[in-house]
Amino acid sequence: MSSVAPEQVADQAVVDDGAAHRESIWAKAVYKLRRDRLGMIGLGVVLLYFVVAIGVWLGIWATEWGDVEGPKWAPMSAEYWFGTNIIGQDIFARAIYSTKTAFEVGLVVAVLSTIIGALLGALAGFFSGTWIDEIILWLKGVLDSIPFYLFVAAVAFALTGNPYAMHIAMVSTFWTTTGRLVRGEVIKLKNFEFVEAARAIGVPQVVIIFRHILPNTFHILLVQATIVFVAAIKSEVILSFLGLGVQDGVSWGLMIAESTQEVLAGFFNNFVWASVFLFGLVMAFNMFSDALQDALDPRKVASE
Amino acid sequence: MEVLQYAIRKLIGGIPLVLGVTFISFLLMVYFGPDKTYELLGKNPTQEQIDEIRHELGYDKPFMVRYGEYLKEMATLDFGASDSTGEPVSKVLARTVPISLALITPGFILGNLLGILLALIAAYHRSGPIDKYIMGFSVVGMSISFLIVVIAFQIIFSSSYGLNAFPVRGWNVHSFSDYLRYITVPTLATVFVALGYNTRFYRAVLVEEMTRDHVRTAKAFGTRPGKLLYKNILKNSMIPIITRIMFSIPLVVVSGSLIIESYFGIPGIGKVTYDAITTGDQPILKAVVGLTAVLFVITLLITDILYRVVDPRVSLK
Amino acid sequence: MSSEHTAPLLSVRNLVVEFSTRYGPVRAVDDISFDVYPNETVGIVGESGCGKTVTGLTLLQLIPMPPGRIVQGSIKFDGRDLTKLSEKEMQEMRGSDISMIFQEPMTALNPVFSVGNQMIDVLRRHKNLTRRQARELAINMLDTVGIPAPRKRIDEYPHQMSGGMRQRVMIAMALSCGPKLLIADEPTTALDVTTQAQVMEQIVKLQDEFHMSMILVTHDLGVVAESCDRAIVMYCGNIIETAAIDDLFHKPQHPYTRGLLDSIPRIREERVAELPIIRGIVPDLLHLPDGCRFADRCPRATDECRKDKPVVNIDPVTGNGVACYHPMG
Repeated sequence: MSSVAPEQVADQAVVDDGAAHRESIWAKAVYKLRRDRLGMIGLGVVLLYFVVAIGVWLGIWATEWGDVEGPKWAPMSAEYWFGTNIIGQDIFARAIYSTKTAFEVGLVVAVLSTIIGALLGALAGFFSGTWIDEIILWLKGVLDSIPFYLFVAAVAFALTGNPYAMHIAMVSTFWTTTGRLVRGEVIKLKNFEFVEAARAIGVPQVVIIFRHILPNTFHILLVQATIVFVAAIKSEVILSFLGLGVQDGVSWGLMIAESTQEVLAGFFNNFVWASVFLFGLVMAFNMFSDALQDALDPRKVASE
Repeated sequence: MEVLQYAIRKLIGGIPLVLGVTFISFLLMVYFGPDKTYELLGKNPTQEQIDEIRHELGYDKPFMVRYGEYLKEMATLDFGASDSTGEPVSKVLARTVPISLALITPGFILGNLLGILLALIAAYHRSGPIDKYIMGFSVVGMSISFLIVVIAFQIIFSSSYGLNAFPVRGWNVHSFSDYLRYITVPTLATVFVALGYNTRFYRAVLVEEMTRDHVRTAKAFGTRPGKLLYKNILKNSMIPIITRIMFSIPLVVVSGSLIIESYFGIPGIGKVTYDAITTGDQPILKAVVGLTAVLFVITLLITDILYRVVDPRVSLK
Repeated sequence: MSSEHTAPLLSVRNLVVEFSTRYGPVRAVDDISFDVYPNETVGIVGESGCGKTVTGLTLLQLIPMPPGRIVQGSIKFDGRDLTKLSEKEMQEMRGSDISMIFQEPMTALNPVFSVGNQMIDVLRRHKNLTRRQARELAINMLDTVGIPAPRKRIDEYPHQMSGGMRQRVMIAMALSCGPKLLIADEPTTALDVTTQAQVMEQIVKLQDEFHMSMILVTHDLGVVAESCDRAIVMYCGNIIETAAIDDLFHKPQHPYTRGLLDSIPRIREERVAELPIIRGIVPDLLHLPDGCRFADRCPRATDECRKDKPVVNIDPVTGNGVACYHPMG
């Protein structure tokens, strides 16, 4: 025991006492998270954005995002808080409306790629060393070797007219990291006693995977989902600029893409406000995601 | 000899990967890709004319035959001529790849070197104020979209609203000073964005290595903190560092150059590829995707050999 | 050994080491005092978590700070108070005047440098030597600690060596600059039994040759009996007994020491129905009782024990002492 680092020794002494401090990983995580000031600020900001998005979705505000009524390139005023764009649309309404778009993209991509990553990762891990594992690893390798923007462009053109081409392309490439992490964790978990015990008493493999193994990877999934959410929002901006992004509606990416024509003429409102909204959400999400990683995984490992 | 045998084994092992990449890209870009039939026809074509064009383009052949032809072109490196310009693909590549490399290499190297440097400084001052500033900067860097940085830097450096010191766009390079003028703004933008992610990653790697037993041993023998960091810790961290750098190469070459080249109007491989996607220029697409996959396999190989160099425990088996 | 006439080489007084944890500060070492005389071997014994390893690391200020912190006390070594030295001066001290060897020879050496490279670094850090001179000296040291073909072995990497061999390399490294004090933290625990004996024998032999003092941190009373002059028994961050080795094994004073000795299985003794164990569990360092920390597990405990903490009273003649109101006879 004496080889462990002293802080572990001290910690050990704390943990060894059963009754007082035997908490689940989740109770500990919530405790740590709540004491992480930056993380809680991040979460607060994300929730604020979420409320804005819900309001848009319910049609409470920013309904006039598409109206072409104002003068061209109006400055900031009481009527147009953030001014207007090249065709006289209200930039404030468009920036607010784009919050909904961002959450749509982020949530759809994060949820779907996490589910796919969890399933394929768990399958590969549970059947590690067999042909199932080989095929999933091969697929992951192949998807990782195609340059991302090329892949999205290819999907977009192959599915011409499909408004979800971007989402499909992101989901099909973003699951791979989650899949790899889950696979590693499942390989570790499947040698644990509770899994062996389940197998010994004849529990079917499907049940073992879904009832006994996957729930134990939930902390990885949660952290990965936040990371994918941020990646999706950021990718949307680039893709919208390339003309491969959001097809109907408006997004911060589209606003920034629009603004590339305006900034050289000296009109910065579109660019600045879309950037500020985007940065605020991504930064807040990153802060929250960091705190979540710290809370759920004390030995945050960076290596591949 | 051992290395050569290993290399051959590894390259053969890369075949399924190349097949997979080419298959998926063939499926998306060629089979379901843009149909060029009507672009090449006049108004009100007859059915015969349509059939003739489709035959010429090879659209009437069965799926596997077309994929087979694609693979044959890959293996012989004979990609024919670009559909849009008629220029041989090999010539297009020879013209554009050097431009892209010249454009992204300085930023790539600087982004990684500065990232490691900042990470070393942050790790050295772990938990102190300097560490907090550096990590704060890196989270901010991670949160700003590449596109925003590119636009902002263009305004700041290249427009009359800012310094107006560098060309706004294009690639009119005839001398080394031209070259520096054209790459400065793209390079600054690339470095700014890469630095956030790199610093954070490298710091995490270094800090994890700092908690190892052998670091405590070195400390117990009086090793100075500076030496501890650059000798003991840095060399031990080389495996994840090399992995990250090497694996980003194939992606940076195409994806990284794509955004910069389209925004700054630089005629590199990224822009050519993007144009090829939008126009369905299949010979170019085949070449780019195929060669990227091969580049990946070669990267995997070189990475493994580099592991052997930095870590004596790794054997080439 | 603890004579009145020689001055101690190391003199620890009222040392308190705290770690801040999520649940508040934890005193891993709580007000301990002890001396180590020249050429003496002192064992620090106790269960895991008792503070013995932290004590060893604190002497060289190797505990991570933060979260660790020396709250009070002094560590006088060769006339200087180590707690008052600057980090720079401390670095000079480490590996030259005081050396330390660790439990895990597998991970304690750097895997990506050859053992020679690591030894040469240490030698050149503390002595004014050329690379070539340092290499020769390193080869000599490897020979001294019993590594065969040292000239060839010096260029090998740690993973090419056996556990016993690696630990010998550690010892060679530790002794290479001629330290006055060696701190050995469970030096043989990770080795297999036959290697353990050989390595321990080597350490004791070299200690004589090099005229060093040694602090042997271990949970293994057998090792202490064979190689130490005196032992310190720690429990929950406190020293509860200190005695010359013969006295400790034949007339243990503290009920806890007695319990530890009783729980060693002995060969060639009358069969006992059951190996005695110490009942109860070690208290949590965050919620320590006011009185004697062993009271809850102690068969002799009285109300007095639960009220006030007993302190170690050192007998000026024998140098022995125990922190107990009801010592064993």
